[in-house]
Amino acid sequence: MVIDTHIRPALFSPICRDKESFKRRCDNMNYHLMGPASIDLLKEQYALAGIEKVFLLPSDCSFDTGKADISNDDIALLVSEAPEMFIGFASADPRNQNAQENLEKAFSELKLEGLYINTARLQIEPYDKNLYRLYEICKKYNKPIIFHCGLSLETNAISSYAKPADFERVFRDFPETNICLTHMGWPWVQETAAMLLKYPNAYSSTALMNFDGPYQIFRKVFTEDMGKLWVEHNIADKIMFGSGSPRIRPVRSFRGLDSLGFSEKVKEKIYYRNALRFLRSESTDAV
Amino acid sequence: MQFKLKENRIRAKKEFEMIKITEEVRRFIRESGVKNGICYVISEHTTTGITVNESLPCVEDDLMEFLDRIAPEDFEYNHNHYLPTYGTIGGNAPGHIKSLLTGISVNFPIIDGELKLGHAADIYFCEYDGIKDRHYMIYIMGE
Repeated sequence: MVIDTHIRPALFSPICRDKESFKRRCDNMNYHLMGPASIDLLKEQYALAGIEKVFLLPSDCSFDTGKADISNDDIALLVSEAPEMFIGFASADPRNQNAQENLEKAFSELKLEGLYINTARLQIEPYDKNLYRLYEICKKYNKPIIFHCGLSLETNAISSYAKPADFERVFRDFPETNICLTHMGWPWVQETAAMLLKYPNAYSSTALMNFDGPYQIFRKVFTEDMGKLWVEHNIADKIMFGSGSPRIRPVRSFRGLDSLGFSEKVKEKIYYRNALRFLRSESTDAV
Repeated sequence: MQFKLKENRIRAKKEFEMIKITEEVRRFIRESGVKNGICYVISEHTTTGITVNESLPCVEDDLMEFLDRIAPEDFEYNHNHYLPTYGTIGGNAPGHIKSLLTGISVNFPIIDGELKLGHAADIYFCEYDGIKDRHYMIYIMGE
């Protein structure tokens, strides 16, 4: 089994019916020249990589944009279309007065499974007091948090707000909350590895789509930017497969990661075991 | 002279697949009523192909495997980079190359209302970048 922990459902047809909203979303999230895809087609594409479950990540910078690009209601709608496959995450723009109320509703009524925040798009520090109020809600509901981390290709995003080491206070202050830094924090990969090494509640995901093809970028990040044995010997319990679709096709991302030749035991952890533990907030097993 | 166009939707079951479409072409020729003319079969995409070959599974496997050797997935293609016009990584260079090698169209005569095709020949739509919803055209000119 494979769990893809990083899919932005911007092009999922059930939430693309309003053309104006669809165009605005694609402009804000920097997706172009691509059309909506049906759920049944997406399922067939995921099956090519053995993907059976998918984290759906929203996008809410509504303080700036007036309306969330991918709202909690959108995510809930998509989950209802394929509840056996989709695991929905919530978001809330912390600059809005009703942010806490929206997040509470997402957890209690929409039954979403965690919080997704992109501090690069929000252009606020990870330890901003308004964000801390949202983290407290995650703690109360025992929900994990996924942070965009590293370079953000979205329009009007400033990546310096999403540097891995700047999340350290959050790891320290919310030790019982599982927290994921996406994209291995690229290009600050070693900072990400440092967080994974130090904090039991720290996770990262593999969505890499910056330079080269998947075979080349995964080799660069996992055998050159990081020591060749760092994953096998140190942080195998902390890394989750995530494709980063739609910027890259999930099966291609999977092939790139799979080509690295990790042991079968480590592959199982990266492909699904770590994601299951991340969701359930179970204790971390030693490698 | 009549001109008839049909667009067919097609979805492969695999990422890379040869799909026989001969019967769809024959059916449209019969529906068109054209007795003598020419029929074109044309893909609308740049990572697919239209070709003719013998419909044996071993031949299909050989063709696809040979194309994989010419354009392997893990080669360092120029197309493998961030494409600002899409906001995505270009990851389908092998599909473009296979499409070039195969070509995207075939044409055959229509004689007495039937497709004039060799006895061992079948027409294939070739998916090199699936799974996607695809379209190909059947265009008939004749009387």
